[in-house]
Amino acid sequence: MNSDSFDPAADGQAVEPDAPESPSRREFLETTGATVAASTVASFATPAMAQSTEAAAPRTAISVSVNGVRHEIEVEDRWTLAEMLRDSIGLTGTKIGCDRSECGACTVLMNGEPVYSCSQLAVWADGAEIRTVEGLAQNGGLSPLQQSFVDNNAPQCGFCTPGQLMSATALLEANPSPTAVEARAALVGNLCRCSNYNAIVEAVVAAGEGGVA
Amino acid sequence: MTQPTRIGLEPLQTIGNDTPRIDAVERVTGAAQYTRDFKLPGMVYARVLRSPHPHARIRSIDVSAALALPGVLDVITNETSPIVWGAGCVSGGRQYNDPIKDATIHRRYIFNNPVRCVGDSVAAVAATDRNIAEAALELIEVEYEELPFVLEPEEALADDAPRIWPEGNMCPDTRNEFEPMTSRIGDMEAGFAEADRVFEQRYETGFVHNAQMEPRCALATWEGDKLTLYTPSQGISNCRHDTARDLGLQDHQVRIVSQYMGGGFGNKNQNQDADLIAAELSRRTDRPVMLEYSRREDWLGVHGRWPTVQEYRVGVRNDGTVTAMQMRGYSGMGPYRKNSGGISGMDYYACPNRLREIYPVYTNRTTSGNFRAPSDPHGVYGVESIMDDIAYEMGMDPVEFALRNMRRPTEEAPFTNYSLEEVITTGAEQFDWQARRRVQPGSDEGPLKRGAGFSFMMFRAGLGTSSAVVRVDSQGRYTLYVGVTDIGPGAKTTLGMIAAEALGVPLSQVEVVWGDTDRTPYSVGESGSRTTIMTGYAVVQAAENLKQQIADRGMPSGADVLIGTATPVPGTDGLIRQCFAAHFVEVEVDTSMGTTRVLKYTAVHESGRIINPTTARDQIRGAAIQGIGQALHEDLLYDPRNGQPLSPGYYRGRHLTHQDIPEIDVTFIEVDDGYGPFGAKTAGESGIILAPAAVANAVANATGKRMRSLPITRDKLLQEVSA
Repeated sequence: MNSDSFDPAADGQAVEPDAPESPSRREFLETTGATVAASTVASFATPAMAQSTEAAAPRTAISVSVNGVRHEIEVEDRWTLAEMLRDSIGLTGTKIGCDRSECGACTVLMNGEPVYSCSQLAVWADGAEIRTVEGLAQNGGLSPLQQSFVDNNAPQCGFCTPGQLMSATALLEANPSPTAVEARAALVGNLCRCSNYNAIVEAVVAAGEGGVA
Repeated sequence: MTQPTRIGLEPLQTIGNDTPRIDAVERVTGAAQYTRDFKLPGMVYARVLRSPHPHARIRSIDVSAALALPGVLDVITNETSPIVWGAGCVSGGRQYNDPIKDATIHRRYIFNNPVRCVGDSVAAVAATDRNIAEAALELIEVEYEELPFVLEPEEALADDAPRIWPEGNMCPDTRNEFEPMTSRIGDMEAGFAEADRVFEQRYETGFVHNAQMEPRCALATWEGDKLTLYTPSQGISNCRHDTARDLGLQDHQVRIVSQYMGGGFGNKNQNQDADLIAAELSRRTDRPVMLEYSRREDWLGVHGRWPTVQEYRVGVRNDGTVTAMQMRGYSGMGPYRKNSGGISGMDYYACPNRLREIYPVYTNRTTSGNFRAPSDPHGVYGVESIMDDIAYEMGMDPVEFALRNMRRPTEEAPFTNYSLEEVITTGAEQFDWQARRRVQPGSDEGPLKRGAGFSFMMFRAGLGTSSAVVRVDSQGRYTLYVGVTDIGPGAKTTLGMIAAEALGVPLSQVEVVWGDTDRTPYSVGESGSRTTIMTGYAVVQAAENLKQQIADRGMPSGADVLIGTATPVPGTDGLIRQCFAAHFVEVEVDTSMGTTRVLKYTAVHESGRIINPTTARDQIRGAAIQGIGQALHEDLLYDPRNGQPLSPGYYRGRHLTHQDIPEIDVTFIEVDDGYGPFGAKTAGESGIILAPAAVANAVANATGKRMRSLPITRDKLLQEVSA
């Protein structure tokens, strides 16, 4: 999908009620996402979601940089970062495998740190720098890590690949020459049901400065 | 990169060389579009309401409040949309057989009443966005009459068990009769009479969800009376045919588009209820409809490998010759029989007296169906567990015991070629079997105990019909049209390589068109390990056809093109064609913690000529790791008190992560038996068959205790070693 054609206003403009009884995603994440940095927590200025089916879903204007492009965007408070990236910004490379912090397919970098974008609210990204799989290639060329994934057959079905790449990108930025043990530890939150784990680790190690393809 | 060891054949021009996938760049840049990534103008979103009860009759459904919610376009139920999902329940589990689907007595609808498991579908909503659709589900009022339920197959066969279907809980066979699947050769009485010792044991295996990373979804849109379905499918041709039949359409009125898809391992073959629900909602609302399942819905509403109970009786002479093998098995199919319920592995033995009876049984658990080598890993675990115990009990090396008793070619049953002995002896040598196994199981001192196990197999590699089209233009560009999807193994690249080899051109000169029934000819689909050998064979024939045209008429000029086609019906001249493998595993069991760590894993396969060694290697490595997960971790537990599933999802299923993964050493013994495309055989499923048995045998060798139930979890292991 072409991100140039993105029109945030085209999405979700309808008046949207919330589920009447079950806890909202936002409430759930706010309860469970206690590890989120305090500075981002402080930025939800909006009241708790209305429980009435009559009410519109609350929205908040945020400013977020995605792959170096700044987006001034009004998001529904209940949207996850993954939803915003995929549905509003049109970057569908980020995949949703479980939508509940189990599989890591949705991993993106938020201010350089890998996060599960299914379990981050879009409003938490206000002011943040986000990087997705679409941002890895530079000047029309694959990053060394992407090229290593190609050369080492790291993707099988490819659905977990964007998340593996983002976790590995963060690793290589912190540790340019990871060992296989370090790569496994850094990627432990990224499941691969094709179970192509060996090839993925080989690709990450080979992409490092000391790596051999 | 860790290269596979290769013995036997030299690479050809293209085939046999490590080749990056031709679509690898799309896969690493996010450009590859999976079904959920499509967005059509006017598209709306659908969600399914599912039963919270394991067994209940629906007395009434009130959808008025849901329909009144702003943004809701439609709500459908069994009353509005009584559509039979033919592939969802088939007598005899015969998934490809139309007449049997028509004759099937236990019909599964896209919405069922009664509902027969937690997660059975009840209704579906289409709305302008996902949140509204989910909110509308909450407004549907269903009045259930709860019914008694049964979870275990043997209990389900009791006379007083709750009846899931009117005739009882035995699944009907292809004649709609309620007989076990029975295969018998020889004379059991004589076989046991000939035996010096008779061994008996019972094993159980758990439900293993396919757990592919991409949850089930479907995007349906109509133009007039033509339906287009974007859906993750392993077999676009059979998906089209099944969808057309279920909706009362002709095949040409349905177009299936499935290019990139996030795995399946057997649960994305045929059409799925999601396809029919999306199509029905799209027809009624006149909008493109995107139906998405959550991870939990995928776990409970799709399927996984059937859980089994296996009771063996084996007779052996004092010299170690097996004289009789008997097994009674029970396969829990859930409330609908999608597939066979098979339990295989006894047929690897030459023993002339064999009896196998399998009872496929309905239960109120979630549906069982095909998962990579559907009948094999659990069956081989059972057979090889008892054979391993017999070997040690009789003071024999399990490898020697296998070599003595395994099936070999005979005059009555000849093979195209036979490599079983070679894969076993090669593997034993590479693994250093004699040094790693404990002659006395469990003999290591202290709580950390090491041991080694092995298993062996053969698996079908027979040929069959598929189609291919190859076109060449005046620029010398070749386009290959094949009706495959690329579920992960790399079929698109493999078939492109076969075309390039057959045409005598570099792979870079071949473009591959795939994954769209309106643009490609028939293919068997990415199931049954058939794509490389069957569609690959058609590719070779289509290329030969095109080369003959070029020889006759010269290369095309201007706007002209030449098109070669083929739909061959290849056979193997009455010979049995199999691939062969042996896996060797060393484990370390912490008997104080109950944990098992795989230290070394050696896999030796004969899969004919290897087309692309890199992707073939990772079929074996990935499958072996899935098999380790089946051996040690994965299960879907149920609360027996209320029939609720306790462990759907990756977290509670405890799937292996990067940190659980051993090195897997892969060796291919390459042979061209003169059949199949350039001598290729099958690989995709074969790698998962041996891991559960080999791991379980290694645990037994380490601990001296036989684990009679998969998965070998900590609690089971601790209970056994402390007993």
